[in-house]
Amino acid sequence: MGVQRWAMGRSPWVLHFNTGSCNGCDIEVVATLTPRYDIERFGIFLKGSPRHADVLMVTGPITRQVKDRLIRVYEQMAEPKFVVAVGSCCISGGVFSNCGKGACYNVYAGLDSLLPVDAYVPGCPPKPEAIIDGITKLVKKIKEEK
Amino acid sequence: MDVISSTFQLFIFPGFLFFILLSFLFEWVDRKLYAAMQRRIGPLYTGPLGLLQPIADFIKLIKKEDLTPKYSDKKIFNSVPLLMCALMLTVMLILPVAGESGVISFTGDVIFAIAAMTLFCILIFLAGFSSMSPYPLLGAERAVLLLLGFEIPLMLSIAGCCIASGSIEVSAIVSWQASHGWNIFGPQLLGFAIFLVAIQAELERIPFDIPDAEQEIVAGWMTEYSGRKLALIRMARNLELVFMSALAATLYLGGPMGLAPHWAEGIAFPVYFLLKTVAILLILTIIRGIFARVRIDQMVAFAWRYLIPLSFLQVALTLIWRLI
Repeated sequence: MGVQRWAMGRSPWVLHFNTGSCNGCDIEVVATLTPRYDIERFGIFLKGSPRHADVLMVTGPITRQVKDRLIRVYEQMAEPKFVVAVGSCCISGGVFSNCGKGACYNVYAGLDSLLPVDAYVPGCPPKPEAIIDGITKLVKKIKEEK
Repeated sequence: MDVISSTFQLFIFPGFLFFILLSFLFEWVDRKLYAAMQRRIGPLYTGPLGLLQPIADFIKLIKKEDLTPKYSDKKIFNSVPLLMCALMLTVMLILPVAGESGVISFTGDVIFAIAAMTLFCILIFLAGFSSMSPYPLLGAERAVLLLLGFEIPLMLSIAGCCIASGSIEVSAIVSWQASHGWNIFGPQLLGFAIFLVAIQAELERIPFDIPDAEQEIVAGWMTEYSGRKLALIRMARNLELVFMSALAATLYLGGPMGLAPHWAEGIAFPVYFLLKTVAILLILTIIRGIFARVRIDQMVAFAWRYLIPLSFLQVALTLIWRLI
């Protein structure tokens, strides 16, 4: 188990999923790949295929339209898999929570109402440093618990 | 004693273990230099300078869940990664590392190497085709298109080497170079350039990474692979990288042969082999770093309009050179 945990914490490959975000968070996620932040230092890759990825990084409010696709992508990933919610919209609905009276008619209250979330990165949008910090906290969690 | 030494050669040095470790090292060198060319740092925290990063990736993938898509052709889908690794590890054995000849050496092993390269492309096609999913199918189709474009220049440039030394045996080409000078100094210089471009395409690296273009078709023919099958595919591709750069070093840079006192040959030759092979890898990575992906039509036009006539010209030049 020790070797597995070490390897898992050293190379979490990330799949970025946009559920209808305003592109603010997405630009910040992509900015973590740039020379200034260089997320590959931690062995992290941004992968295109859910089959290759370990971490599902979700940005944007979870609309009713995207719910099925999000769950399908999550189910296509291989175990062990982790979920990171990036940005206020994804964590709680953000500006879309409580639009209208009570719950919103088209946006879910947050990602954790659908999927088991392992790490939250708040912000609108969060800085790239915050996203890297979120992933390193997730890595720490992988190393200590699973 | 003979059995022990040949088992050692087959499994440890210069056999399977050596090449597998070399493939991890090559991935690290490739990623580090590629990152440096983009003013990044690259893998840093896994082991000293990130040296263990490819190994961590490999172990992680091995330990992950192994998925087989419902509608895939399961027999082919599951056997392709194993076949790829087996093919690459077998063909590696003809590479001379510690002397004139490799672990196995026979007349016509150059042709065996060419056949293995083509077979690898066919395995890629099978991998994509058996996934029965749109992106892998597209990737497989593109891989075959790449094969049609770049296999002929590759073979012709290797043929140039064979004509120059008058043999189709790797060890004979190496010993010919030891007495007549490296192939790269002479009419084979053009062939060397063609060979480098062609192996860049065979390896599906950046100017020609059309079969696994991430921005267009997710991960190409690898899209449906996960877990230990993906680990084996990645390893096979790294082994292919080692094989191609080692073949370039063997055919054009004199293989492991070099200046060494007689008593130190056992150490000096593998060091020369590593130096020359890594030099080729650096050229390949720099090509990967400074180019953007070409379109499919540009790739086909480049291969058929320029590369193939040039490689015919190179064979003609070699023949004239030999007759003079």
